[in-house]
Amino acid sequence: MGNTKETRTFDAIVIGSGISGGWAAKEFTEKGLKTLVLERGRDVQHLKDYPTTNKYPWEFEHRGDITADVKEANPVVSRCYAFREDAMHFFVKDTEHPYVQDKPFDWIRGYQVGGKSLLWARQTQRWSDFDFEGPARDGFAVDWPIRYKDIAPWYSHVEKFAGISGNKDGLPNLPDGEFLPPLELSCVENYFKDFVSKNYKDRNVIYARCAHLTEPQPIHLEQGRGQCQKRNLCQRGCPFGGYFSSNSSTLPWAQRTGNLTMRPHSVVHSIIYDEQKGKATGVRVVDTQSKEMIEYYANVIFVNAAAVNTNIILLNSTSHRFPNGLGNDSGVLGKYFAFHNYRGHISAEYDGFKDSTTDGRTPTSAYLPRFRNVVKQETDFLRGYAAGFSSGRGKNMHTEGFGKTLKENLFNPETTGWYVGSHMMGETIPKESNKLTLDASKKDEWGIPLLHLDIAYDDNDEKMLKDFFEQMTEMYTKAGFTNIKTGDSKQAPGLDIHEMGGVRMGNDPKTSMLNKWNQLHACKNVFVTDGACMTSTSTQNPSLTYMALTARAVDYAVTQLKKNEL
Amino acid sequence: MPLNRRTVLKQFLYMSAGMALLPACLQHHAKSSMLLKHIAIDGDQEKTLAELSETIIPATTTPGAKDVSAHLFVLTMVDDCFTKADRDRWQAGFAAFEKMSNDLNGKNYLSSTPQQREALLTKLETVKDEKDDAAWFYQATKRLTIRCYTSSKFYLTKVQVYELVPSRYKGCVPYKPAARKVA
Repeated sequence: MGNTKETRTFDAIVIGSGISGGWAAKEFTEKGLKTLVLERGRDVQHLKDYPTTNKYPWEFEHRGDITADVKEANPVVSRCYAFREDAMHFFVKDTEHPYVQDKPFDWIRGYQVGGKSLLWARQTQRWSDFDFEGPARDGFAVDWPIRYKDIAPWYSHVEKFAGISGNKDGLPNLPDGEFLPPLELSCVENYFKDFVSKNYKDRNVIYARCAHLTEPQPIHLEQGRGQCQKRNLCQRGCPFGGYFSSNSSTLPWAQRTGNLTMRPHSVVHSIIYDEQKGKATGVRVVDTQSKEMIEYYANVIFVNAAAVNTNIILLNSTSHRFPNGLGNDSGVLGKYFAFHNYRGHISAEYDGFKDSTTDGRTPTSAYLPRFRNVVKQETDFLRGYAAGFSSGRGKNMHTEGFGKTLKENLFNPETTGWYVGSHMMGETIPKESNKLTLDASKKDEWGIPLLHLDIAYDDNDEKMLKDFFEQMTEMYTKAGFTNIKTGDSKQAPGLDIHEMGGVRMGNDPKTSMLNKWNQLHACKNVFVTDGACMTSTSTQNPSLTYMALTARAVDYAVTQLKKNEL
Repeated sequence: MPLNRRTVLKQFLYMSAGMALLPACLQHHAKSSMLLKHIAIDGDQEKTLAELSETIIPATTTPGAKDVSAHLFVLTMVDDCFTKADRDRWQAGFAAFEKMSNDLNGKNYLSSTPQQREALLTKLETVKDEKDDAAWFYQATKRLTIRCYTSSKFYLTKVQVYELVPSRYKGCVPYKPAARKVA
């Protein structure tokens, strides 16, 4: 990379290479724009940089466990379920990027090319108008500036390329998409599905749609990806490209156009605003290796740094015109931050189907779309929750005694009956008091003010959790499940890894940051299409929606560029 | 090769220690084969652990705990993954275990006959007192021995086969109880 202003000038800059940044890169480069992707972490190349992907259990020194020293030094990331010996190299350690928790918030990050797209849970459910119309109907946040019809074609666009396995369920509250064939549900999952549809007119159990290639199409083979092999080792990076990640899909695709420049080790300090031109002209980057600050320029800038970091970048992009952060005329930047409530879980046993079991492994499960307050308000809390539903038979090892008797028992583990379990995915209500701010004096090693997170659950979340326990217990009991146990993980916000908001979309520049095209109301050539743009959270795993919003926004941005409107 | 780092470090330290310190013949105990960060274990204790793991899972017509180096795994896990409190308790428990062996059999575990070793473990299996350090040490060591054995290459390729690439998922197949395996 040369060092003249000319060599540092591109058509488009994308900040971040995770799930949404990867999509921005793909769409821009396919449309012929010379695109610079800035990634704060190291490079991770598909196949080459998955060091643990083909390891057997016995090849891990600690058989998957995290050492006590690592846990002690990294209490936050150690709470993440996927932070294990096989994938810990894809997570940010607590000390690498400190932040201030005004209230407990577990900020889980993946700083590398591909970001958290290597680590995500790969669940991909569409939103419906029951979700987009939520804030307007229930009187919180602001109205979404888009509806389902605006995003539906873009859901299709990204689903076809990413490869989504699903079943056409025909549910108005969870629209069908472009699906590859579903995998099977287990006999108990099918039993519960039938039970719920017979006993509850407005509740459904479906196959959980996921970003796995169950039957690769030519577009997937062209990406160099193959069929999902049901390894369930996704967090290590998949040598088959069986699930969707930026690394296996959008980034190599963008690379092949010849229009992509990928720059790892690049922390974006701020976006440069030109007071005369009245728009952004580029970004200031701190090279994490040389610590040197370098400027890059482009006509359009997409901010896809992941929700929290996108907020930081905008808050830190101050100018005479925008003293409180880029595009922040309304004062809402960093506020109305939200997440998903994943605190509740329930488990039980089922005495039936003793003559049946599963064979192989499944990367997904069954899913109960939100059934509370869908058509109208019916409970003492707003909105609702979706739930996973999974089942299986375990192996029980008898470990009493020692010697030959013990060894005999270890050789012959007992197959248990069926267990079932669900976890809660609750919508939280974005509030002004749930906010991100920058420290007035303390800075990180890249010269960026330290982040403060002031985020908490509220009474609505507590009521919803209680309802999750009640409703699931009732359904489990009626279905004949026994030994039902509910649990509240009491986990801090953030551990759901579904951070959303702070740079919300809305129709009114006085109460929102972004318009219906994810464009800053007050600085038209800057777009935000990651989790930061979310006006409300609904219950669906959000990545699919970020992908669709990104592709849609790039399409709009390129049209506007051609008309010289940006 | 997970233990390489330790082996290399160990050799390095042996060389420098050998030159700077005592002749080997003056050392009371042989050294542990592993370089440990937090706990102190000598060669006899390492042998004791190997024999203890072998009493827990003995070699028969199939490999035993020593064959899969379960004692080294125990040391790695105690040293790396136990909290300080648990490491301390495990070491104190190790001493209490040896004392119990002396009290019961008149000798330490390593010098005991197979029958004496089994008598000690039989006694430890019955201890219900959670405050008993020797029993805590024994149960923790046994748990790690079992974990090492059941996640060993032998076990996962010959006993309960682990498939790295299953390539299939069937949601509902007939359940056929497996024929009983001879250990």
